[in-house]
Amino acid sequence: MTGDFLAVDRITRSFGGLKAVGGDAGLSFSIGKGAFLGLIGPNGAGKSTVFNLICGVLKPNSGQVILDGTVLSDLTVSEIAARGLGRTFQTPRAFPSLSVLENVLVGADNEGEHVLAALSRRWRARDAELTEKAFDVLARVGLADRAADSVSNLSGGELRMLEVARQLIRDPRILLLDEPTAGVDPNLQRKLSALLAGLHRDGTTMIVVEHNLHFLLEIADRVVVLQSGELLAEGSPGEIKSDARVISAYLGANHAA
Amino acid sequence: MIWAQLLTTVVMFGSVYAVLTLALNLQYARGGMINFGMVAYFAAGAYAYAIVTQAPPEGLDQYLFGFAAPWWAGFLAAGLASLAFAVLTGWPTLRLRGEYLALTTFAFAEVFHSVLLNERRIGNGSVGLSNVERPDVAWTGLDDTIVYAVAALTMMLATAYVFNRILASPYGRVLDAIREDELAAQTVGKKITRIRFEVFLISAIPVGFAGALYAMITTLVSPTLYTAEVTFTVWIALVLGGERTIVGAVLGTMALIFIQESLRVYPFETVRAAQIAASAEEILTGAIFIVMLRWQPFEKLMKKGRPS
Ligand SMILES: Nc1ncnc2c1ncn2[C@@H]1O[C@H](COP(=O)(O)OP(=O)(O)OP(=O)(O)O)[C@@H](O)[C@H]1O
Ligand SMILES: [Mg+2]
Repeated sequence: MTGDFLAVDRITRSFGGLKAVGGDAGLSFSIGKGAFLGLIGPNGAGKSTVFNLICGVLKPNSGQVILDGTVLSDLTVSEIAARGLGRTFQTPRAFPSLSVLENVLVGADNEGEHVLAALSRRWRARDAELTEKAFDVLARVGLADRAADSVSNLSGGELRMLEVARQLIRDPRILLLDEPTAGVDPNLQRKLSALLAGLHRDGTTMIVVEHNLHFLLEIADRVVVLQSGELLAEGSPGEIKSDARVISAYLGANHAA
Repeated sequence: MIWAQLLTTVVMFGSVYAVLTLALNLQYARGGMINFGMVAYFAAGAYAYAIVTQAPPEGLDQYLFGFAAPWWAGFLAAGLASLAFAVLTGWPTLRLRGEYLALTTFAFAEVFHSVLLNERRIGNGSVGLSNVERPDVAWTGLDDTIVYAVAALTMMLATAYVFNRILASPYGRVLDAIREDELAAQTVGKKITRIRFEVFLISAIPVGFAGALYAMITTLVSPTLYTAEVTFTVWIALVLGGERTIVGAVLGTMALIFIQESLRVYPFETVRAAQIAASAEEILTGAIFIVMLRWQPFEKLMKKGRPS
């Protein structure tokens, strides 16, 4: 697995005895530096759980996750984040007492976040710089004119974009997005698609969970399909589109729904 | 004359208590940490001040330590003692959330109180330490009470200034973020335990200083002065002031102390009358607390003034 930027190595995770990820053998897949991986699968396949296992919110029952040569098992969520991993949540999370701009600024590393630095006001120059960057990032996700707004005035789709912006200001080396298009209007979806393609071009490693396959298969360069927590198929978007097992898994899910 | 006296007393005690309310505002309203043991940090400061400044034990004294140090050394020691107590109590407890943290801090404070009550070698047990050293302020040509009122006011304003500076920085922003969504803050790399611990320690220091000043004012340091009632008073003041702002914390404390003190200025003829007044004061304080929690009149007023 050398050369992989992120390797998920035989992980399993169950909740109350029910296996959610990895089945018996464990789930493995990996992603090279700068690659764009689509992660798909029917509802309840374990996609979000895999994200939680990668970013440290959940710990695997067995197996490990390796990021750029470091085993993440013993690290906390913030330590993993500090190693350049960014993620969004399926249900967007925002800080309600902070403005849209401040919600983005919280994403940045700022030396003013140490108590003595806060007293000395050394943070001012850096904060001005970051504010400029925050406006730039907000423009990229279509929220430029909402900077001063309260987050309670944002729609579900806008909150999703805000969460992306909060991650972008950190310049993550690897970015995990959980259903970024859900609730986002088609206009903004096109903008998002261009944004993700741009990040990919600039070398950010991406993993995107998405139910909107039109959106995803156009920009991903590889796809992993999960079903009941196990790897169902893996390949290029073209291969996945024509894979009989994938089609039936999705049709099956649709029939069930 | 009685009004001038009342004003001085309210400013003096109100300012000392407001330092505690400001600390609570930082810890709870912004940091999301429920500290139900505030009195312990206050007491740590007061005892440290008394012990460092008092003469070494002699004759019938039961306490073990006295360093006869100047008042400013005692004052610094008070800040350090409160800080040390915050390290001791914060380290194991800050991983706890909400009511668990409230219970642990309360328990810590009760243990500390009973140690002070029963351990004669620290502060003479229940008798306490009397004739606490106070700096000579005769050079000002002013009444002692006025000088201490000004000192307390200055200390309170300095605390408010420092806390405001911290909260108005990116640090305050992160504090809000951590309080509102720990996980989201962690996923952008915030070290939430470190930041919580820092805030806990920073807010304890002025509480220790306030303890030293309180000891100078009362010239007596004894367990009866440092009961959970102090903690509750500060909590009520915080709720009274509307929780979220520094100005609110100060005004809430001043209002509460004013109510309490104005009941005391009435010259009661009999001990019985004074006792009744004291109970009335407690009932009134409790009633204010209930009204505040139930109807939150000030919160509503402030929300009206703000665009939603
Ligand atoms: N914290 C949890 N506690 C208990 N069960 C959980 C927990 N998280 C996930 N699960 C279960 O694990 C399984 C996988 O859930 P997960 O959310 O990862 O699926 P998903 O692929 O993201 O689905 P969706 O497309 O609906 O978002 C589900 O059966 C779910 O109920
Ligand atoms: Mg999901």
